[in-house]
Amino acid sequence: MERDSRIRQAAEMPDTILIVDDDELNRAVLDNIFSSEYSIEEAENGKIGMEKLIDHPEKICAVLLDVVMPVMDGIEVLKKLNERGLTDQIPVFLITAESGDHTLKEAYSLGVMDVILKPVVPYVVQRRINSVIELFRARKRLGNKVAQQQTEIYQQAQQIIELNMGMIEALSTAIEFRSGESGSHVRRIHDITEYMLEHTRLGEGLSQEEIQHIAIAAIMHDVGKIAIPDAILNKPGRLTPEEFEVMKTHTLQGAELLEKIPQMKNHKAFRYAYDIARHHHERWDGRGYPDGLREDEISVWAQIVSLADVYDALISKRVYKEAYQVEEALEMIQTGKCGVFNPRLLECFLQVEKQLRNLYQDMADSGLKQ
Amino acid sequence: MTEEMKRELEQAGIRTEQALERFMGNEMLLERFLKKFLDDPNYGKLMKAMEEGDPKRAFEAAHTLKGVAGNLSMEPLMDAAGRITEALRKDRWEEAEALKPRIRAVYEETAGALKRIF
Repeated sequence: MERDSRIRQAAEMPDTILIVDDDELNRAVLDNIFSSEYSIEEAENGKIGMEKLIDHPEKICAVLLDVVMPVMDGIEVLKKLNERGLTDQIPVFLITAESGDHTLKEAYSLGVMDVILKPVVPYVVQRRINSVIELFRARKRLGNKVAQQQTEIYQQAQQIIELNMGMIEALSTAIEFRSGESGSHVRRIHDITEYMLEHTRLGEGLSQEEIQHIAIAAIMHDVGKIAIPDAILNKPGRLTPEEFEVMKTHTLQGAELLEKIPQMKNHKAFRYAYDIARHHHERWDGRGYPDGLREDEISVWAQIVSLADVYDALISKRVYKEAYQVEEALEMIQTGKCGVFNPRLLECFLQVEKQLRNLYQDMADSGLKQ
Repeated sequence: MTEEMKRELEQAGIRTEQALERFMGNEMLLERFLKKFLDDPNYGKLMKAMEEGDPKRAFEAAHTLKGVAGNLSMEPLMDAAGRITEALRKDRWEEAEALKPRIRAVYEETAGALKRIF
């Protein structure tokens, strides 16, 4: 309810007592008792009292309510306040000459804070009402504080997440940089992986949070290259068999490196990162490396990154090759010229490939030929 | 408010110190409302309602009169009005009728004193 939140959100403490009584003398007595400490508003029957209260509830710190009044009596007012949940937020006091059990019981069950008998004794009524007003104010202050701190904590958590993402990206980019890749390669692998998990059957059974973890993990697929000597990593020509064996170790090295980072182990993305780093060069037919996994032994995310890596390599310009045309690249992938892939994976890939192509539109370094 | 006035009010059954406490020591405010009491219609309403045999109106008037008398610490009047209120609340008309002379006497004493003092 809109008014509800006005009371909760009002930064200032309410400072007005609303006196609802048809008798002028009663109102004058109560006004006189409290006017030195509070602002006072008066109403001569329940209806007017309700109107004033509903108009600006965030200003009212207490309601002093008579029972016997024309137009709308105190119990009626209480019922209406109770319905609106206002008795939880603004303390209501019955000021009455009635000491009958029935009235009291009903009043308390409707949420009245205290029943004060008439004719009033000032020091009694002051103490009882001030105590409760202070209680409500303290509760409100505490509530405000908690809400404020929750917001701060949430903002800090967001910042930490962003910082982490930034660091992971920076590290991975730095490593890829040695082999002449730019930051956009790492970014594209992330985006392709995320897109395929979000928009095809491949992402079935994964929560949005898990997809995001996998996408982050995908960024680190080639961190193992940091352990590969320059001479091999950046050799312009074909690698010898011995050199190739060394190159292949970037999978195991990557997994090992990730395991060694203390914070990594606790991160939700770790199991995906380890898996992807180690297995993004496995092949559907079992002839990949390092573990020779076949078919569904290879996890979905490792398969996706594997394909994304090939796709990206084909249609971007690299140190060792020019960019292929998209149609040619797709043909090569589908006919097994660049590794053997899960048919289901390829099916999903082709479903969304045109959208994936859009990732390359603005990238000057890809040299993409259309 | 002079000491003399306070004594006279006490004699008329008005617990002046108690009333002053209720008014937070504000003598001017108390005086104002004591004077205003002479214009309070509820005694009149009560008597009229009883003459006309209207229990509901009588009850309301007695109840309000009790409240006013209470606020001004007019003990005897508050007591008398209280008795009539309870009788009428329990639908004991005869009992209420029987209490009439008493409240008349008390009211006249209180009102008379106020007229003299102010």
